[in-house]
Amino acid sequence: MFPSPIEDYLRPSTVAEALAALERYEEGEAVFLAGGQSAMQAIKSRMLRPRCIVDLQDLGELRGITRAGEGLRIGALTRYVEIANDPSLDGALAALRDAASHVGDRQVRNRGTIGGSVCWNYVASCMPAVVLALGGTLALAGADGSSREVAADDFFLGPLETARREDEILLDVRWSRLAAQSGSAYRKWGLVRDALPVVGVCVLVTLNGDGNCAAARVALSGLAGGCQRAPAGEAALTGTAGDAASIAAAMDAIADSVETHSDQSADADYRRQLIRSLGAAVTRTAFERARAA
Amino acid sequence: MKTITVTVNGTDYEESVPERMLLVDFLREKLALTGTHVGCTYEGVCGACTVHLDGEAVKSCLMLAVQADGHAVTTVEGLAGADGLTPLQRAFSNHHGLQCGFCTPGILMNMSDFLARHPDPSDEEIREGLVGNLCRCTGYVHIVRAVREAAREMREGASGVSA
Repeated sequence: MFPSPIEDYLRPSTVAEALAALERYEEGEAVFLAGGQSAMQAIKSRMLRPRCIVDLQDLGELRGITRAGEGLRIGALTRYVEIANDPSLDGALAALRDAASHVGDRQVRNRGTIGGSVCWNYVASCMPAVVLALGGTLALAGADGSSREVAADDFFLGPLETARREDEILLDVRWSRLAAQSGSAYRKWGLVRDALPVVGVCVLVTLNGDGNCAAARVALSGLAGGCQRAPAGEAALTGTAGDAASIAAAMDAIADSVETHSDQSADADYRRQLIRSLGAAVTRTAFERARAA
Repeated sequence: MKTITVTVNGTDYEESVPERMLLVDFLREKLALTGTHVGCTYEGVCGACTVHLDGEAVKSCLMLAVQADGHAVTTVEGLAGADGLTPLQRAFSNHHGLQCGFCTPGILMNMSDFLARHPDPSDEEIREGLVGNLCRCTGYVHIVRAVREAAREMREGASGVSA
């Protein structure tokens, strides 16, 4: 397909200019373009018919991974290839690399951004579930000069819906303090290598001094309701030592508690089985990484 | 319409383009560089339109031409230099890494970027690197062999050993 007519193309050089560019149009008529690996598909299929494209490529301030004190920020325009190749993303954040290194293909990873992915919030995508499981915070700036932080738990509202208002831009995904003794992991299953997830599972575990799980966060991708936490599994993992029986019981709890759907990729029972098998594997990896952290 | 300046295969082009024109159509229709192919009706899945943007492999159907304003693009026509085909191109010829050839330009562009970053790849790494390029003829066996041999020749060339 081919885009519907576009009247204007703007390439702002600051966040303020980008927000001002949006204000010149009615809501929804101007769209931000980050890496474009999802948005261009929507524009070509005419699901989106923007009058104006606001290309964010010159906003260098939104690029890169920076550590500040005990925290870390990943700029919204940081590409998958940069996340996949950053060895400092380990322990509690290792799932980001698991996910980024298998999004699409290397051409897509050379363009696609974490900010574009979380703001698009497609059901079959990896980054929203990973940011949700890792408990990130999303920093937004508004056209009126306002800024606010939204916890991932409050940001992802459902398929293609987020808490970002049309007149806001995502600056970065941030963690103010990374938990010690923590490990995370993500895996997906798709119809072909590195395809969109039919199901993806992300697990973050934090250990106490005895090596048992003090806290767990689990999020799923690929379900019709959009990326979502799995509280039954989180509760079941907490207090365990990460042994095979405990992990299997926790994954059963998740599979029994979430709503799965059938489509041409997999039926509902198969999705539950994927949750069990992928979930057990990533939980084992998350425990191993937490012990090594 | 927007006037853009794009460096393609080392030559600066200043052209007026509609905002909605895709980069792949700019290359094919404005510049008549038809080596960059469209294999999947612009769905972003086949990889035949892969080019280098500032030295990195990207799909030119997933970009607007106006986004390339001020950037350098290399297409398959720009791979061979004054001294002839690149080791990768020679390897595809020597190892018959193609049948119909439609996917070949995109594979050459992706793999030339890949080999610049992974000079000694395993077959598994080559196959992983090829995920974004669909070949409907070969089953990839000869393609993987060609990439592996090109890597070997490039390493030996770099270390001064005659191939």
